[in-house]
Amino acid sequence: MSRVRLFDLARPSRQHLLGYILLTPAVLLVGLIIVYPLIISIDLSLQAVKLPRIGAPRAPFTTANYERLFASSEFWMACWVTLKLVVVVTAGSLITGVSTALLVNNRFRGRTLARLAMALPWAVPEVIAVVIFAWIFDSSFGLMSWLLVTLGLSDGMVAWVSTPGAAFWAVAITMIWKGYPFVSIMTLAGLQSIPTDFYNAAKVDGANVFQRFRWITLPLLMPVLGVTLVLVILWVFRDFSIIKVLTEGGPLKSTQTLSIMTYDQAFGFFNFGYASAVGVVTLVICVVASLLLLGRQTRAMY
Amino acid sequence: MTTTFGRFVRTATAAAMLSATMLSPALADTTLKFVSWQVDDAGTGDWWKAAIAAFEEANPGVKVEFTKVERAAYADTMTTLFAGGQPPHIVHLASFEFQSFAENGWMENLGPWLDKDGIDMTGWAGQGKCMWNGETACIMMNYFGFIMAYNKAILEKEGLSVPTTYAEFLEVARKTTKDFNGDGITDQYGTGHETKGGAGQYLTEMLSYILDAGAYWTDKDGNITIDTPEMVEGLTRWKTVVKEGLTPIDLSAGDIRKLFADGKMALRLDGPWLYGIMQKGAASADTAVAEPAFSPPVGGSSNVLGMASEISDEEKALVWDFIKLVMSPEWQRKYATIGKNTPPSPAADVSGVEQEVPHFPLLIKTMMAASDAGVDRIPTGLEIQYNEFGKMVQEEVQRMLIEDLDPAEVVKVMQERAETIKNGG
Repeated sequence: MSRVRLFDLARPSRQHLLGYILLTPAVLLVGLIIVYPLIISIDLSLQAVKLPRIGAPRAPFTTANYERLFASSEFWMACWVTLKLVVVVTAGSLITGVSTALLVNNRFRGRTLARLAMALPWAVPEVIAVVIFAWIFDSSFGLMSWLLVTLGLSDGMVAWVSTPGAAFWAVAITMIWKGYPFVSIMTLAGLQSIPTDFYNAAKVDGANVFQRFRWITLPLLMPVLGVTLVLVILWVFRDFSIIKVLTEGGPLKSTQTLSIMTYDQAFGFFNFGYASAVGVVTLVICVVASLLLLGRQTRAMY
Repeated sequence: MTTTFGRFVRTATAAAMLSATMLSPALADTTLKFVSWQVDDAGTGDWWKAAIAAFEEANPGVKVEFTKVERAAYADTMTTLFAGGQPPHIVHLASFEFQSFAENGWMENLGPWLDKDGIDMTGWAGQGKCMWNGETACIMMNYFGFIMAYNKAILEKEGLSVPTTYAEFLEVARKTTKDFNGDGITDQYGTGHETKGGAGQYLTEMLSYILDAGAYWTDKDGNITIDTPEMVEGLTRWKTVVKEGLTPIDLSAGDIRKLFADGKMALRLDGPWLYGIMQKGAASADTAVAEPAFSPPVGGSSNVLGMASEISDEEKALVWDFIKLVMSPEWQRKYATIGKNTPPSPAADVSGVEQEVPHFPLLIKTMMAASDAGVDRIPTGLEIQYNEFGKMVQEEVQRMLIEDLDPAEVVKVMQERAETIKNGG
């Protein structure tokens, strides 16, 4: 009888156990597919390993990969490119996303269609989107260069992929196109949770549209925008396929982010130890950035 | 009744045991995994499929699981399979990537298997490249020479003949690069090179100009030989072709080949596989092949076949049977007739193949020319660092084009960086 009572999860004092039991499969799964590979990566980054093998004896401990990494101009260049891309793409996605969300939050004929069009880039699989943009930015026959030539803005075709500046902007534009719908959808959800009474009261007080946006919409959207900002930044940090398909990190490493550098070192040059070190440093940067942003956001909310 | 039943049980048990001992483990139901990027290739893919069918017929109960992995993701996939302890039994790799796998001990030494069956590899084209750390890591499956495809209609329209030297090639390329409507967009190119793909392909595209100028990345002993007047000339030629817009830029090899096949390009230097694409193009009636205008032609090893070292002995025996089959003179001839490519085996009887593949003598001629000149795409001494070396060369050449640098200065930087890579820096 006492045995039955021991496993009586309905008892108030043991209700927390039920929660733990229900969480266990998810925790185990996360541990298996995220934590375990992470531990392997950290371990690999502390070994001089070219090609690893599961179950192989561990190579001697070394910090050589990290020493090489921090002394490498390529690593700092990749950090700089990643930072530039994070700033440009996040800003572009936020501005475009918030603007389109504000637009489709209004009542007008064809609003449903407009909302659908707004969300469309998000629904397109990333690789397909990149292939489309690869053709748009094609240096010999691309639509973008044709437009520039036709409009008289360029004397000839623009070498989008083989000019460092143009390649960076080709990547950034593609990422903004792919990323802004997420911001739009999140913002739209946030906008719809703002009570209309606030706006009515502000109108009675004589606030114009910009004042209403500045003092009502923006502060009430901040919790949503804060989380969205973190997610967009993390997406830009780890995104791989857009850059890989469009420019492969070139030319002259002008679009080589930390993700591309990790891939090249691992699968291009078979330097798995060094690639793991790049991956671990990228992870640390992402965690620190997330903590800083979420910390600020938490204070803003409460 | 009991006696009869007991006799039946004993007989049945004995029969079962006898069957089990008589059946070779190799004949039991087995599936051999074989991953390749050539599964859907016209010609070569058909040849692999035919060989697999023949092997399965000769080995009842044995299946070959022939799976395609795209070339772009091939090194990643194979690395992951090997690292995870699940390698394919039959190992198919590009000749520039097997070295890392062999260095890691993942490839079976085929030397003892060859010795056991008394197979003499003398004269097998490109087989020397398969020797790694004194062991036979693989069997070379293809050694090829470049051909030059041209569009007869474009050349005739300009009153030009098929070029036979670099100077003539340049002249034809210049005269056939056209912006017909004057909108600033080139409508027809003199030639075409892939400049968007991987570094290895970028190097291959440049190589015709470099070899013809008498240069190469390393010498026979593996010493870096980039800082030479010949290399300056080779790079100058490449710079000329790209900077003058005689080739479209930032296109993949597939796009370039399609442009040629559809009649938007006058000349294209490529491997034997171009012919199949030409035949399917919109301008198939106008395109033809000739000897390259560059001497020696680009050529060399393409792909290799081996076996994983960490599979069971029974599986190794079956894999070896498969390798032996595709190495046999009969299947080497079929490599020409079905695969429309040059077989590496000296024992392959290729007489009469030209009746099925009209340009086959040309393929043999350019392959021999490349082989006699000792040409290979993978520089001696840089095999294991080939990807890193290729990336470096691609980057420095791009810098030369973007910043309009003097090739004489570029070769000095490339020489220094190549030596650093070679020395493990």
